[in-house]
Amino acid sequence: MADDGRKKELIETLKKGVIEYDEDLVKETAQKYLDEGFDANEGIFDGLAAGMEVVGDLFAKSEYFVPEVLMSADALYAGLDILKPHVKTKDRDQKVKGEVVIGTVEGDVHDIGKNIVKLMFDVAGFTVHDLGKDVPLDRFVEEQMKTDSDLVCLSAMMTTTMVGMKKVIEKIKAKNPNVKILIGGAPVSKDIADKWGADGYGEDASNALTEAIRMVSALREMKQKGEV
Amino acid sequence: MEVLKGEEVDRVPCFSGMGNVTVEGMKKHNIRFAEVHGNARDMATLAASTYKLFGYECAVAPFDLCIEAEALGSEINYYEHVEDNILYPTIKTKLVKAGEDIEIPEDLEKRGRIPMLQEVIGHLKDDVGDQVAIGSYVLGPFTLAGQIMDLNELLKISFKRPEDINRILTDLAEVIARVAKALKDAGADYITIREMGAPADVISPRMFKSLVQPPLTEAISRIDSPKILHICGNTNPIVELMAECGADALAVEQKNDVAETRKKLGEDAVILGNIDPYNVLVQGTKEDVEAAVKTAIEKGVDGVMPGCDIWPDVPAENMQALVEATKRYGNTS
Repeated sequence: MADDGRKKELIETLKKGVIEYDEDLVKETAQKYLDEGFDANEGIFDGLAAGMEVVGDLFAKSEYFVPEVLMSADALYAGLDILKPHVKTKDRDQKVKGEVVIGTVEGDVHDIGKNIVKLMFDVAGFTVHDLGKDVPLDRFVEEQMKTDSDLVCLSAMMTTTMVGMKKVIEKIKAKNPNVKILIGGAPVSKDIADKWGADGYGEDASNALTEAIRMVSALREMKQKGEV
Repeated sequence: MEVLKGEEVDRVPCFSGMGNVTVEGMKKHNIRFAEVHGNARDMATLAASTYKLFGYECAVAPFDLCIEAEALGSEINYYEHVEDNILYPTIKTKLVKAGEDIEIPEDLEKRGRIPMLQEVIGHLKDDVGDQVAIGSYVLGPFTLAGQIMDLNELLKISFKRPEDINRILTDLAEVIARVAKALKDAGADYITIREMGAPADVISPRMFKSLVQPPLTEAISRIDSPKILHICGNTNPIVELMAECGADALAVEQKNDVAETRKKLGEDAVILGNIDPYNVLVQGTKEDVEAAVKTAIEKGVDGVMPGCDIWPDVPAENMQALVEATKRYGNTS
């Protein structure tokens, strides 16, 4: 169908816009894509998220660096802002539903890794409660209780701040053992994640970026298989 | 000190250009980390304690990375309210909007904690200055820029409008040179320039060369002390560019392939490093520490140095192992 070809073309342009961190191109294309009546959800996953996946590869290969990743993330958000309100309710219901609390723990003012992880959740359609950076430990516990979120993501880039994560995990799990907790940042290892009772982890600062983007890819795969 | 001057020594030294306070030192002197940053007497006591307790061959102050930003007017969070966790001071709110020019106060050297830090260095000189070298540090221009403006924005503008960032970095090079002079005047024997915001896992070697290197070189050329350039993270693709910056020595971390760096920079280059400060020094056993020291020396470091600040929670036996292993494996004669 001609329509299909056109849709594909626009999706490819969305993808390219994210890869080439061209915010304007993404905005313009996202609008056209909607105007021509194509499915917003596909545009997000096969266009924007697929583009970010390529960015992740380029970053892993040291062809892209943090500035490029940040600019690509901006381009992705520009498209997401336009497409997201038009995601059909049916799709929304089918998605991995959930709410997530995310933030960088007290003592740490680095938020680049956290922002990219947040992007992943935004793409996936989660409701994200972003507490920002340098967040007192009890705020995570309070926010989880208040929002009844399924997931809590803690980030710490500096070694000195990461012990704070252990305390948050203990407190949250004590109150609500079913909450899933992901930790990430510079010095976090699988060993530490296991020891502290976290449900997932992202290895180090640059890996955290790659990991976060990989999580987008995983979601896309699940979607293609019809699991979400 | 001889090592930094490129002179022959009998043994590889074990020291750092960066923070090296330990919980052991805090316990011994009953000093709370959160309260030490503005107290010259306690800071000097704590800075000397790592030498006194473990024979670590230096005394370094300050302990945080906010000195210059504070002198420029940033408000600092010392986390005095946090009870059972050691947190380093951070900057509360960014001083300028990203890409905006800064104003250098005329009385820069009298602002923030610089006079206090000068006092600390004086105390250290009196206390242990005849036994070990007294070190202090400044940030590199790019890293300092990340302290006074939003880092996400800084990185993006560095890409989109490098000329704006270049102007700011040139001003910051001036700030850094003046702070370093104040530290030298107070008695610091050597200065480390910490450009930790610019490793090759954050920005491209291309950007390092075009944007970071020129003001960094400028700052270094104006620092009239024995000086070490330190960058943590992945420095493999930029060691040659680092060497061009003109410091007396380069300090690198565990991600650096020291043998390869030695090959690239030649026999005369002074390379310090590259003990993993967390996975080896804190998490490792004393045998791990010994093995890491041995490897670092075999690969060709001229001084055994942790890759970054020593994480205060380092076990006493690992600190002892660090110093002892350097003595055991570090004979050069």
